[in-house]
Amino acid sequence: MVLRRDDWLDIARKVDWTPRYVDERSLFPEQISGHPWLPHEAWQGWSEAYRTTYREYVTNQREKDAAVLGVRAALSKPRLVDELDAGWLELVKFHNGAIALAEYAGAVAELRMARFGRDSAWRMMATLGALDEIRHTQIPLLIGSDMLSHDGNFDWTHKAYHTNQWVILAARHLFDDMFLAADALDLAIQLNFVFETGFTNLQFMAMAALADRAHHHLFEKTLASIQTDEARHAQIGHPVMRTLLDNGSRERAQYLVDKMWWRCWRVFLALTGTAMEYLTPLGARARSFKEFMTEWVTEQFIKNLAEFDLEKPWFWDLFVEELDYAHHSFQLGLYTYRTTLWFDVASPSAAERSWLNDNYPRWNDLYGPLWDRLEGRWQGGGETNTLSYGLPALCNLCQLPTLFIRPGRNTACTLEMHGRRYLFCSEPCRWIFQQEPQRFAGHKSVVDRIVAGEAPGKLIDLLEWMGLTAPAENGKDLRRGLDPWRLDPVPTA
Amino acid sequence: MRVYLFGYASDDFVGRVIVTPNERTVAELGRQLVAWGLEPERRGAITVRNESGEILEPADTIAQAGLSNGDIFTVERG
Repeated sequence: MVLRRDDWLDIARKVDWTPRYVDERSLFPEQISGHPWLPHEAWQGWSEAYRTTYREYVTNQREKDAAVLGVRAALSKPRLVDELDAGWLELVKFHNGAIALAEYAGAVAELRMARFGRDSAWRMMATLGALDEIRHTQIPLLIGSDMLSHDGNFDWTHKAYHTNQWVILAARHLFDDMFLAADALDLAIQLNFVFETGFTNLQFMAMAALADRAHHHLFEKTLASIQTDEARHAQIGHPVMRTLLDNGSRERAQYLVDKMWWRCWRVFLALTGTAMEYLTPLGARARSFKEFMTEWVTEQFIKNLAEFDLEKPWFWDLFVEELDYAHHSFQLGLYTYRTTLWFDVASPSAAERSWLNDNYPRWNDLYGPLWDRLEGRWQGGGETNTLSYGLPALCNLCQLPTLFIRPGRNTACTLEMHGRRYLFCSEPCRWIFQQEPQRFAGHKSVVDRIVAGEAPGKLIDLLEWMGLTAPAENGKDLRRGLDPWRLDPVPTA
Repeated sequence: MRVYLFGYASDDFVGRVIVTPNERTVAELGRQLVAWGLEPERRGAITVRNESGEILEPADTIAQAGLSNGDIFTVERG
């Protein structure tokens, strides 16, 4: 008689044993398994809703891969790419560069939990998570490779994380903190509980909805398929959080949640907020970034916090205020520093301005005049007149430019520590830095490196240092294209 | 002596790095910052403040105003 699944699953998932040659602390060292270090009795109830077996995993993943590859085969005709909106293609290029190899780092993180997670069911789930993350790397690499015949800059799908490009340095700083330099326990809270449960719905499901409306069905299928994996292995976070709270680590858990929420928000406003509202074709914009954030991220996250009786992060009011403004300020930064990017950037058309103002009632008053000035500078002196040549002030925590929340509303602040002056975009970034100065204080931002002579000060040399070969790889104005001056040497800072 | 400062102009959208001799005046520092912004040609009064929000004397040198490497200053344009 064949056993039913539920008859054998618990036995197969729970294969922990009592070590005889080393003690449990040696087998799961606190430095990499995480603290507080708890004996296995505290973890043995670890469970999650999916309870996937390896056999089920292989069957499901094979079907999912077949579905993605089927769409790829059906939509491989070059003309279908040519028919896509030009801004949308830049969005895909931006997304692929920022995400593909970050997923590969995610595989390393999952493997750390697969070895050092404290219960066998956790380790099993993390093993499947590692396979997921490898898949999430391979699919965009495959599709990015397909796109090379259309646009050579799609090689940034693979290249980005091997460069010193400033957006990528900021993303790498976050992902190093979140998972490559985190123990198994912190990983489960930061990566699974906050990042994957909280934010990836936005990057994969909301973006998939936009891809559908932009008629990019391969990208839609890819994102939606990836999110089904994320939804499963994100479940690792909940039982780890429950064990932490049941064993007197509420303060630690709250800190990890607060820290990672702010850090994720910083990268998502820069990556997703700008892409959704300045590169997505108008007809494809189902909702505003703020609406997506509110419905898909914030409301769900607050439910998760309530489930564990955790507090909203202390900076919540600032976060809510920034939802209306911060990504619009960031877009101006991307636009005026576009030669430092690997994708093209758009200034909003009249119709897009109207849409933005409908969704953000102060947009015309606050941002309209700045875009008007840029337009005037195009008329008055061409592209060279519309670029920023001076260095932006970079935050020593998030590594992003210290942008105003909105014009005139500046939240930048400093900190003196051990003879060095640090700059932060906001109080939450300074607060995170102050909690773990030994973790962050030694890092130098791009500006710090230029000031110290460790990175070139001349723009043309700096672009090369960032991995951008002028003029082919440098971002342009989406609608105006390559301005003739670009064929001449780029001016120095 | 040259110092690097982080400047924020009220009509701009990003903080900018300013490298300047600290013998220059606060007024010159303010004008140097707005020259990097989107509307450098606009005339009118400017007010320079330090991170604490204190108004700095325009005729003072940067050093006299207490600004040194890594300090923040803001410029309000009239």
